[in-house]
Amino acid sequence: MRIVIWIKENLLGSKIDILMTLISAYFIYFIASLFLNFVFTTDWTLIQVNRKILLVGLFPEEQLWRIWTVFSIFSILISATIGYLYKLKLRNSIFYILILIIPFLIFTTMNLLVNVLIILFFSIISYSVFYYLKEKKLKITSRILLLSWLIFLPTLFFILILFGGPKVTLWGGFFVNLILAVIAILAGFPLGVFLALGRASSYQVIKLVSIIFIETFRGAPLIAWLFFAWFVLPNFLPNLFSLNDINLVIRAMIVLSLFSSAYIAEVIRGGLQSIPKGQKEAATALGLNSIQELLFIVLPQALRVVIPAIVSTFIAIFKDTSLVFILGITDLLRIGRLIPEQQQEFYGKSIETLLVVALLFWVVSIVLSQVSRSIEERLNVSK
Amino acid sequence: MISNLLKQFKSQTTTRKKIEVLKYDKSFRKFFIQFLFSIFMVIFLFYLISRAFSLELGFGHLSSRAGFGLSHTFIVEYTSNDSRWGAYFTGVVNTIRVSLVGIFFATLLGIVMGLARLSKNFLISKISAGYVEFLRNTPLLIQIIFWQLVLLQLPQISNALTFGGISVWSNRGILLPIISSVENGSLWVLILLLTLIASLFLRSYLHKFKEENVRIFSPNLLSVIFFLIIGIVTYFILGIDLRSDVPTLQVNEYGTYIQSGGFALTPEFAAILFALVLYTGTFITEIVRGSIQSLPIGQTEAAQALGLSTYQRITLVILPQALRSIIPPLTNQYLNLTKNSSLSVAIAYPDVFMVSRTIMNNAGHALPMLFLILITFLSLSLFISLFMNILNRRVTRIGT
Repeated sequence: MRIVIWIKENLLGSKIDILMTLISAYFIYFIASLFLNFVFTTDWTLIQVNRKILLVGLFPEEQLWRIWTVFSIFSILISATIGYLYKLKLRNSIFYILILIIPFLIFTTMNLLVNVLIILFFSIISYSVFYYLKEKKLKITSRILLLSWLIFLPTLFFILILFGGPKVTLWGGFFVNLILAVIAILAGFPLGVFLALGRASSYQVIKLVSIIFIETFRGAPLIAWLFFAWFVLPNFLPNLFSLNDINLVIRAMIVLSLFSSAYIAEVIRGGLQSIPKGQKEAATALGLNSIQELLFIVLPQALRVVIPAIVSTFIAIFKDTSLVFILGITDLLRIGRLIPEQQQEFYGKSIETLLVVALLFWVVSIVLSQVSRSIEERLNVSK
Repeated sequence: MISNLLKQFKSQTTTRKKIEVLKYDKSFRKFFIQFLFSIFMVIFLFYLISRAFSLELGFGHLSSRAGFGLSHTFIVEYTSNDSRWGAYFTGVVNTIRVSLVGIFFATLLGIVMGLARLSKNFLISKISAGYVEFLRNTPLLIQIIFWQLVLLQLPQISNALTFGGISVWSNRGILLPIISSVENGSLWVLILLLTLIASLFLRSYLHKFKEENVRIFSPNLLSVIFFLIIGIVTYFILGIDLRSDVPTLQVNEYGTYIQSGGFALTPEFAAILFALVLYTGTFITEIVRGSIQSLPIGQTEAAQALGLSTYQRITLVILPQALRSIIPPLTNQYLNLTKNSSLSVAIAYPDVFMVSRTIMNNAGHALPMLFLILITFLSLSLFISLFMNILNRRVTRIGT
């Protein structure tokens, strides 16, 4: 009975509603049949053959352990942070798992599956450990977490590069997109905080410089800045340590970091403005100096508010990393375009590969946007 | 202030105490930090400039012959014999063209989808949700390339879709039927646009009169009559003869297919336009939905209690109020759309960036070209912001 009432209310409310329902039902049927027809009539061996190339490009097979190490450390750290910061809802976790299954269905081999399961196991352990520690309200937990982030982040870079690691020119595939986005946000975040503080400060010179920096980087499209990295940037780098002929990937990282810092600065500025004036006055009344006030009162509150917006910026930057395709860096999109051109047996299957590329980007973005949404909901509740 | 500080400074005897006075004086500290910072910035700037001099500077190369053709020209005439400035200007026009058309359709799509998202009808609201979730989370560049690939999948010109002879769809582009005139057509359209704006002003002016109880014939009708009179008079003065321009497809004696007439939508322009509209539309959908949801539900209920229809409720009660919180983020999306149009470099639609890239490849001078691009986009952004600010001021004034 309930179902009948629901259908009456939501689908067949009035005459116009019935018409609308019919039209949209046909529309959904049309799109779904087009899509399913495409998926089931296409021969997907091209993905099975090019699995490795799509994910990591020309990264040497015997060096892949580096990526696995980085990936596992990173996911353990992230799950620890999630365990410390907030409680996963069962419904949300099921959603994440369902979404993440899609690429695994496409890309899984036995080897990969074992590795992923091991990483998943350790991530769940670290999640539960930190969740438990938080419940115990041990003060040291946050310090351990912060310290491990500070120690491991540089280590990750060393693992990739030092001790006979493959050259940066061999980096490729989805790995490049991920690492470009992660570096851009990690390096852009501190700079963005400084820029936001500079823009909000009463020191006119610092304010002016911050505004010029932010507006210049926001003024031109990212692709122009990537061209800047390609043609002009080497001239502006100092001659020391042959810094001026570093690889294009690193140059793209620099420019992406500067670019994302400008956007993050604007996001954080919004957070700073949302802090009530009374907080600052209370800090002054307690006798804190301006640096203490910033570090202990203003920034913690402002950063807390802007976490969802920062995640959105990360998604935007992550999607924008596909632009390095135009520079000729072998990122996921470029490999997706090259496969149908260079491998004879898959000649002309451009749309198929493009859709797989889009799917990979989509999976990461949608999971992150769900994360940002649930953080936002939690922030609203705790207000 | 300063004299006070000086007095204090002089009254101290030891150097250490003198420094202490300076250290605890707020205005001096402020000045000192800024001074240090400026010195640092000047050194940095000096370094950058000295480096920049090792590059090719100046815009002299833009005056020489371009030597490359552009596949799309609009309003301005351009041939490969023109200067590079001409090419650059054509690129600017192309960027403005795709941005304006894109902004128009993205807004339309965003509003429709935003309203659909809030519809009571389950299916309609889910279609809108699916549209947002799928298209917002895939990179724009991929979407642009996707649309180009799809449009190139259209049949070849030899068996083009004609839809009963009214339009030609092939992988060379889409030709749509339009109404056009042989002479002075664009001038007439321009006059009509200006008249439209003038009659809108006239209407609000007359409304003001009416509010002051001046007895006047219906302002709406008067402004429509004004518009029609100007339109018809200029129609006869300019000697316009309107005819429908239906695209045709012919085969000449050599077996070559020739398409002509109609409004041509090339695969490149259509691809970049579709992608920009669909991608930006998702963001506008979310903006519209958020703004409407933030309105108190009492507004909807009051409108229903007054017996307004759904259409009246949306156009008279909901949208005018929601517009206030829609316009600022909408401006941001317009700016994003304009900047994103530079991605058309991937599919060779000759916008500002594509033309600059060609010039950079031919003549070097990367730094000046990038500077020019920055200036161009900054001024485009400024124009959009200015226009939207004026609009915002108008909208927020309603009902206050």
